[in-house]
Amino acid sequence: MYIKGVGMTKFDYSTKPWWQFAYEAALDALKDGNMTIADIDAIVFASMSSPAGGEHQTHKVSFLSDLFKTNVPIIEVTSVCGGGGVAFWTALQLQQYKNILVLASEKFADNKSETTTDWILSAAEKMTEQTEGMLFPTQNALVWQQYMKKYGASMDDLSLIAFKNHTNAALNPKAYFYKKPVDLEKVKNSPIVSSPFRLMDCSLSVNGGAAIVITQEETDVKIVGSGFATDYILTFGREDITHFKATRLAAQKAFKQAGIAVADINVAEVHDAFTSVELISYEDLGFANEGKGAELIKSGKINLGGVMPINPSGGLKAKGHPISVTGLAQIYEITNQLRGRCEPERQTNPLPKYGLTHNIGGAGGSVTVHIFERNN
Amino acid sequence: MPFYKCSKCERIWQYPLSECPFCNIELKKMASGQNKVIAVSKVFIPTIKHPIVPYFACVVEDENKNKWAHKTVEEVKEGDKLVFESNADRNAVGIWRIKYDYADAIEKALELIGGIDLNENSKILILPTLISANQPYFRENTSPEFLTSVLSFLFSKKIKLENIKIATQSFTELSVEAMASRSGLLDVCLKNKITPIDLSKSNFVKQGNLEIVEEIVGADIVLNLGMLKAGNVAATENVFRVLKKENYLGLKYLNSEKDIAKELEKALPNLVSLGEAEYIQTSDGFIAFLGIILASRNFINLDRVLNEIVSQKELPEIIAQINLEEIPIAGRAIKEIKLNINKI
Repeated sequence: MYIKGVGMTKFDYSTKPWWQFAYEAALDALKDGNMTIADIDAIVFASMSSPAGGEHQTHKVSFLSDLFKTNVPIIEVTSVCGGGGVAFWTALQLQQYKNILVLASEKFADNKSETTTDWILSAAEKMTEQTEGMLFPTQNALVWQQYMKKYGASMDDLSLIAFKNHTNAALNPKAYFYKKPVDLEKVKNSPIVSSPFRLMDCSLSVNGGAAIVITQEETDVKIVGSGFATDYILTFGREDITHFKATRLAAQKAFKQAGIAVADINVAEVHDAFTSVELISYEDLGFANEGKGAELIKSGKINLGGVMPINPSGGLKAKGHPISVTGLAQIYEITNQLRGRCEPERQTNPLPKYGLTHNIGGAGGSVTVHIFERNN
Repeated sequence: MPFYKCSKCERIWQYPLSECPFCNIELKKMASGQNKVIAVSKVFIPTIKHPIVPYFACVVEDENKNKWAHKTVEEVKEGDKLVFESNADRNAVGIWRIKYDYADAIEKALELIGGIDLNENSKILILPTLISANQPYFRENTSPEFLTSVLSFLFSKKIKLENIKIATQSFTELSVEAMASRSGLLDVCLKNKITPIDLSKSNFVKQGNLEIVEEIVGADIVLNLGMLKAGNVAATENVFRVLKKENYLGLKYLNSEKDIAKELEKALPNLVSLGEAEYIQTSDGFIAFLGIILASRNFINLDRVLNEIVSQKELPEIIAQINLEEIPIAGRAIKEIKLNINKI
C-alpha cells in the first residue's frame, strides 16, 4: 500500500467540535491526494473524545457517513493514545479496497484539567490502577525510577529530550508551541507533577485532527513495514517494567516486513507522551542499545541536522497530543519529510529514504510501528 | 493483594478467573503475607477521583515478586512495608478497597475491626439489604455477588450450612418474595440450599422499648449487609428490619429513628455490619463507582464514614452530630479515597 494524501489541522485548544477537526483533516488529505470523497472506498476512524464537555457521540461512523455523504464501510477503532496507529494498521488489513481514508479527531481538552486527566485515567486498569491514583504521568514516573536505578540515567537526560522537541515544535506551524521556544532552564525548573517528573516531562493534551489516504496505486511514499503488538494493562504486572515489550515486538515485525535494518531509518516520529517514554523507546526500537538511550540524546545525532532526527515535528511533547490523532499526525510528518515538503529548518537533509512512526496506547499496552519508504 | 496462579503453566492473574485459558484447570490463590514498597511517586495532580494532593503512589511487591499499585497519603519510601493495623474497638470502622475478589475484601475488612469469632458451630444470621423489587444494577439491594461472597467466606471458615440463616422483612407494600426474586438474592439462597426467612412471620422478643426478632437472640453473629448510599444511612436502616414493623413505626412516631438506632446499637452486641460500596447510589439516585467495603460493629459510625468518603454535604439526622474525629479508622485512610461522588 502507498500514501496518497496526508492532512492535519493545527493542534490547539480551539472549541471546534470533534467532527469539524475530522472534516478539516480529511479535506486536507483528499486535496493533498488530488481526490474527492467520492474516490474513497472505506474509512477507518479513531477517537475517544471526552464526554466531559458535552462532546460525547457514540456511533460516530454514522455521523461521518452523513458528514461526507457516503455509504462506504466505516470502521471505528479505539486504542486511546495509540488509536491513530491502530486505525492505520487496521486499514492496511483491508486489502480489497483501493483507496482508504484513515481519520482521527479529538475534542479532548474541553473541561477543567481535573476532568480531562480523569478521563485519560480511564485508560488505566480500573480496580487497581485507577483507584490507587496511578495517573499516566505517575505510572511513567515510576517506570522511569526503575530505569534510572537499573541503568544510571538522569533527569537531565530527559530535559534534553523536552528541549529538543520544543525546539523542533517552535519551527512547526501545525504545532501548539509554534514560535514559542522553551529554553533548557525552563524545562529543568518546571514544577514537579509526579516525582521525579516535572511538568515539562509531560506532553500536552490538545485538540486536533489528522487524516491519511492510503491506496493500492503506486505513489511516491510506500508503506513497507507494519507491526502491531499489545501488552498487559497492569504496567507493574509485566516481567520487565523498565521497557515496553509491545514496542519491541511491533518494531521486530515492522523491520522484518520492511526488510531493512534499524540503521537504514533516516527520520522517526517516536511516541513521547512523556520524555522518559521517548528515551526508553530509543532502546525498544533499536536506535540505542539497552541502557544507552541517554547517550543517544546527548550525542545530538537525533536533533534537527543530526544523522537521524527524532520527532522533527516537536512530538507529542510540544506539537501536542490529541490522543487518537497522534498516530496519524506522526505519519503526516514522516510523509512530508520523505517528500521534502517540511519547512526548510525542519526538513531532514539529505532527503530521507526511510522514515518510522511509533505510536503507543496506554503505558505500553498497545503499540504500532510503521516504516515508510520514499519511492522514486 | 490476591493473585491467582495456574499450577501447570505458572501464569499469574490478579483476576479470580474460573480456570486457566491455556490449561483449562482451576487457578490457585497464591499465599502472600509480605509486602515491600519498591517505588514511590509523590503526586501533585488533582483529579476527580483523587482530589486531595499530594499523595504517594507506590509500587508494592510481595515475596512472590507480584507487584501492584497502592496509594497512600502518608509519606512512604522505598523499602517500607505497608502495615494495616486492626482496631478491635467496637466503634471502629474498617475501610478496604475491593479489587476483583469480594470474598478476599470481606475477610480483610473484618480483620481490620479485630475479626469475628467464628467456629464450626457458630450460628450466623445474615441480614441482606432488600428494599426494592429491582434488578441488582440499581444498587438498592445487597448484590447477589456480595451475598455469594459472604457465604463463601463463611464456608471457608467451616460454618455449617444449617447454621446459616438469611433473613429480612419488608416495611413497605412490596412482598419480600418479589424483592428477593427480582434482586437475584433468592437465586443465591436457593443455589446454596438456604431457605430465606421472612422476619415478619417470626416471633419477637421484648428488650426495653424494642421488640426484636427472636432469630437475633439465637445467633452468635448477626451480619448486617448494608447496601450503602450517599446521603443515606443504609446500614442503619437495614438494622431496623430486626424490629417488629409496628414497633418500629410506633417508636419512629413517638421518638425518632435516631433514638431507635442508638437503642438498637446497644441492644445488638453481636451485630457486625459490612457496608457494600463498590457501586453506590448518589443522593440523586445515580450509580457511581466507589470500589470499597466498610466494616464495623457500630453501624451508625459506618454510615457516617461512608458519607464523609463521598463528601456528602447534607447529612441525615441520625449521623449529623457524630464527630468523625472520634471514630477510630482501620485500613485505608479516608483521605486516600475521599472524593465528591456527584462529580464522577
